[in-house]
Amino acid sequence: MRFIAEDAIPRLLEHLAGGGRTVWAPRVARDSVNTVLFAPWIAGEPVETGAYTHLSAKATLLPPTERLFGFSYLQTAGEERIELEPEEPEENHVLFGARVCDARALAALDALFFPAGGGFNDPGYAGRRSGLTVITLACTTCDSACFCSSFGKGPAETDGSDLILYPVANGFLAEPVTDAGSELVRLDLFQDSPLDKPELAVTDRIETAGLREKFIDLFSDIDLWRQVSEKCLSCGFCAYACPACHCFNIFDEMSGDREGERCRSWDSCMFYSYTLETSGHNPRPEIAHRYRNRIGHKFSYFPANRGEILCTGCGRCIRGCPAGVDIREVIRAVQER
Amino acid sequence: MSMNDLIATIKKVLEEVDVVLGWTRSPAAGVAVPARFHTPDEADGAIFDSTCTHNLAVHLPRLKNSKVGIVAKGCDARSIVQLIVEGEVSRDRIRVIGVPCPGVIDVKRAWRCFGFGKKIEDAGGRVHMEGRSMPREEILLHKCHQCQDQEPVIMDLAAGDVKSVTPPPPPDKTGIRERFAAMSIAERREFWREQFSRCIRCYACREACPLCFCRDACSMQTREPHWTGGQVNAIESEMAQQVRTSHLAGRCTGCEECERACPVGIPLMLLLEEQNRIVEELFAYRAGMSLEDKTPLLTYDVNRDGGWR
Repeated sequence: MRFIAEDAIPRLLEHLAGGGRTVWAPRVARDSVNTVLFAPWIAGEPVETGAYTHLSAKATLLPPTERLFGFSYLQTAGEERIELEPEEPEENHVLFGARVCDARALAALDALFFPAGGGFNDPGYAGRRSGLTVITLACTTCDSACFCSSFGKGPAETDGSDLILYPVANGFLAEPVTDAGSELVRLDLFQDSPLDKPELAVTDRIETAGLREKFIDLFSDIDLWRQVSEKCLSCGFCAYACPACHCFNIFDEMSGDREGERCRSWDSCMFYSYTLETSGHNPRPEIAHRYRNRIGHKFSYFPANRGEILCTGCGRCIRGCPAGVDIREVIRAVQER
Repeated sequence: MSMNDLIATIKKVLEEVDVVLGWTRSPAAGVAVPARFHTPDEADGAIFDSTCTHNLAVHLPRLKNSKVGIVAKGCDARSIVQLIVEGEVSRDRIRVIGVPCPGVIDVKRAWRCFGFGKKIEDAGGRVHMEGRSMPREEILLHKCHQCQDQEPVIMDLAAGDVKSVTPPPPPDKTGIRERFAAMSIAERREFWREQFSRCIRCYACREACPLCFCRDACSMQTREPHWTGGQVNAIESEMAQQVRTSHLAGRCTGCEECERACPVGIPLMLLLEEQNRIVEELFAYRAGMSLEDKTPLLTYDVNRDGGWR
C-alpha cells in the first residue's frame, strides 16, 4: 500500500488546490471553542484530521444558499421584459477529510440531484459533483453517537470516496478507490509501505430491516410519535447537520424593485413554516407530525422512491441536539412497537 | 440533596399533576437529558447533577393543556416567573420543584475538548473526564459564576436544601468576554461578521429560548414582514439575531440556552448580557425576579401614553 506522512498533508492540500480548485477540509472555526466545520482550506492554515466535524460535508455540494439566477426587469421602447442572468456552474471541488458517513451520503444525494440512470440533473449540484474528488479519513475510533456499522460495510465502506486514508503511526496508508484516487497515490508525496490496514472502529447499531413497512403501519399511531418526539424543540439543527437531508426552499430576493436573484436555501421539515399552506392550514401542526416525517423520509419514503436510506449513522444529530434527542432511541421504539 | 429526595418529591408532585419535567441520564451521552415523568415508575429514573444544563421552562408554553410539575434550578425559575408575568403560563397549573444547584457544566465544551459521551464526573471541586481532570470553575457555564439566583424565586417544593449551595467564584480573565471587551468597534464589527458567517439559521437559539415565544410565527422566517432575507449569510444571520436580541430586551433572564444550543458555537450571550446590563442600568430591573414586576418595555399603554404617533 502507499503511505503519506502526516507532515506531507499540507503539501498534498497544496497540490489539490492547484488549478484553482476549492479544497474543503475540517477546520476549527476562528474565535470558537473547538467548533470544527468543513470550510474552504486556506494555505498555511491547519486542518483537523483527528476531530469530528459538527456539521456534515454536504455544503460542498449543496451550499446553505445558492443563487440560481439573477433577473432584472428591463423597459425597451415601452415594452417590459425580464432578463435572466444564469449562474455558471462551479466545478472542481475537493473534499478532504470526509468520513465514511459523509462519503456514503453522496449516493443518496446523487439519487435525487444527479441520478446515474438519467433523469433530471440539478445544474448546480451536477456541476459541483462531477468535478468532485473525495478523500476520506477512515475511522479507527468512534464515539458513543456513531452508528454507521448499521449500514452496509460500516466503517469499511468505500462508496463515495476516491481515496481513503487509514490513520497509522506518523501518517496514513492510502487506498485508491477510483482512477482519480489512483492518480493521487502516484504523487511522490506517497511512498510504498509494508504496513497493513489498521483495524477499523466498530460502532453502535440500529436495526433497519423491515423499517420501511413498519413505519407505514405505524403512521397513524400518533401517540407513538408524540412520545418519541416529546423532547424535541423543533429547530432545524438535525436536518442541517445531516449529510443526507437535502430539503430546500426557493425564493426571490429583490434589490430595489427592478432586479433581484432567485435563491435556493436549506430548509427543514422540522419547521412549522415548512408545510404551512397559503390558506393558513398546516398539515403538520404538531412537532410529532414533523418528527414523524423526519423518520419517514429517511427510513421509508426515500428508500421506497430512490432506493437509499437517508441516514449514514454519523451521529451528528445526536451529538449536537440541544434537547438531547437520540434518533436511535426513536428507531428502537418504532421497531419495538 | 440525594437522588432519593428528588425522586420522592417528584412522586409527590405527580399525585396532583399530569407530568413532571425533569432529567434522566442518557446511556449514550453519559450526561443528563430532559425527560418527562408521567408515572411513579418513570420518576425512578430522575437525576439532578451538574450536567442538567437544559432550561426545562421552554416546554411549559408547549404544554398549555396539562398540569405540569417542573424541576427547576434557580436560573430556570426566573424563566418560569417571566413566562407567568407575560401570561404565557398560568401559575395555578404548574408545580415547581426547586433543586440546590452548585453550577452546571458546559457539557458541549467538555465534549469538544474530550470527546462526546465521555463520562463526566463532578466531584471534590474538580471535573473528571477519561482520566483527566480540571477545576470545575474552568468548565462551568458563564452564567454560573457568582450566580445570584441559586435559590429559586418561585418554588412549591424543594428537593434538598436550596439555600445550602455557595456560588462559584468569578471566571478567570482569559475568556472571550475579556477579549471582546478590549476590541474596538471596528474589531467588533469584524468579529461578528466572522461569527455569523458560520450561522446556518437552524434557529436552535430561538427554539431553546423559553422567552422566544413567537416561534412558529417568527419574523426571521416570514416573507411578510420581510425583515430578513432568506439567504444564509453573515449579514442576514446577524440581522436575524439582532431582531431576536432586541425582542428579548427586558425579558431575557440570561439562562444562556441560546448559546448552549448553538451548534456552531456563536457566543450569543455577548449580545444579551450587554443588553441585560443596559436594561438593569436604565430600569433597575432584572427579568423574572418577581411575579409582581412588570417588564419595562411591556408597560406601554396605548390609552395612557397617547397612542401611536
